[in-house]
Amino acid sequence: MSPRIRVALLALAGLILLPCAATVIAGLPPFGATIAQYGERINAITPEARHVANMVSAINFDLRGLDTLGEEFMLLAAITGTVVLLRGRRGEGNTEHAMRRPGRAVIPRSEAVVLACRIAGPLTALFGLYVVVHATVTPGGGFQGGVILASATLLIYLGEGYAGWRDAIHSHWLDAMEGGGALLFALCGLAPMLTGAAFMQNVLPLGTFRDLFSGGLMLVENLGVALAVTGGFTQLFLEFMEETRAADEPDEPGEESA
Amino acid sequence: MTMLPYAVAAWLFGIGLYGIATSRNFIHLVGCLGICQSATYVLLLGLGYRWGSIAPIFYDHPPGTPAVDPVMQALVLTDIVVGATLTALLLVLTIQAYKRGGSLDPEKLRPMRAGGGSRRNQASSRADDGAGKTS
Amino acid sequence: MTVILPLLFLLTAISGTAVVLVRDPVRQVFAIAVNGLVLAILFDALQAPDVALSELTVGAAAVPLLFLVALMAVRTQPPEEKP
Repeated sequence: MSPRIRVALLALAGLILLPCAATVIAGLPPFGATIAQYGERINAITPEARHVANMVSAINFDLRGLDTLGEEFMLLAAITGTVVLLRGRRGEGNTEHAMRRPGRAVIPRSEAVVLACRIAGPLTALFGLYVVVHATVTPGGGFQGGVILASATLLIYLGEGYAGWRDAIHSHWLDAMEGGGALLFALCGLAPMLTGAAFMQNVLPLGTFRDLFSGGLMLVENLGVALAVTGGFTQLFLEFMEETRAADEPDEPGEESA
Repeated sequence: MTMLPYAVAAWLFGIGLYGIATSRNFIHLVGCLGICQSATYVLLLGLGYRWGSIAPIFYDHPPGTPAVDPVMQALVLTDIVVGATLTALLLVLTIQAYKRGGSLDPEKLRPMRAGGGSRRNQASSRADDGAGKTS
Repeated sequence: MTVILPLLFLLTAISGTAVVLVRDPVRQVFAIAVNGLVLAILFDALQAPDVALSELTVGAAAVPLLFLVALMAVRTQPPEEKP
């Protein structure tokens, strides 16, 4: 199909769908006028029922925890697929040589960058941990904190170089974190059933409202999500970065000049 | 103003689709798909907003203060994180397609064969590699 | 708020359009990062701090990085010669 026909088809589809979209938009409630009853009820009931301050975390980890379980395994499947696709061609090993673009100068890392990364890296990791553990109190949680933690490991790459990064972070740990986090989340769903409660029912003591230890089972689930997201994203970064390294195969001598 | 967020969401989705249909580079295409996805964020959060409400976090404000819809926020939150991993998966598929087919242009994509039958047209398309050449 | 929100919505539309119209993938990465940042600000203005934090880390940092690395992988490696 030539690009012109494709654009013409898209324009045709747009012409047909535009009135439909306009009708739907006209039928939606005006922006900012009201919110759905479900959310309204959650806001009214949950602080007392679950002793948590952050409604978004309460929905993710408790009220709609089953959905998050699904998301968790989507995450796991996407990352597994990525890793399999990358490793399938390259094997499990890693290489020491960076790939170079011909004609581009290699600039050594300046000491200012190293210093800045050594200061900023631990601080970023600390902030990530803070965001993770305060899931039920303030904005944050396993999803956001996990990505911040994974980004903190990138500062090691920036400051210490690729070799230092690979020394500090081991792929096997990441696999364990990623899978273990998802397993922990699934166990959080199954464990209450041993006591005769429903799937993912919040059986742990709920703790004090606005306290770090509030929400009961949510804290454990949050930890599971944090582990899975940290492990998964670091794994993604690691595998992607490995993709920019020179292949170890001996039959590619012409690569530098390619 | 009452319809603006929905119109913006529809516009983002439409422009993303236009980008996908006209893209000549897989990496650009994945970026356009991200725009389509951001349309859903804007739509959901627009639906969940209410003037004069606080964020659904009752730390500084006592419970019972009017707050915006937390359900939409929970939906968008997981969507963003899972969407990022899917972007990674798509980018890896792009890299693989480039390595097997020799081109990033969707127009030049040929069906892959097990025996490496797609290598034949590699030489012709090698010139237009991922160096960001576009139509 | 009544002025800021419409402006942010329009800014989102503009930055989203920019991502599509910037055809060079290398330049598009920066458009994607800016779009992530604008979305994060918009979400914060929409009283969704959780989502804003998520979009800030994912949309403005992690995803552009993945794009950059994918571009680098594509630009530095020739396609496979023989399986």
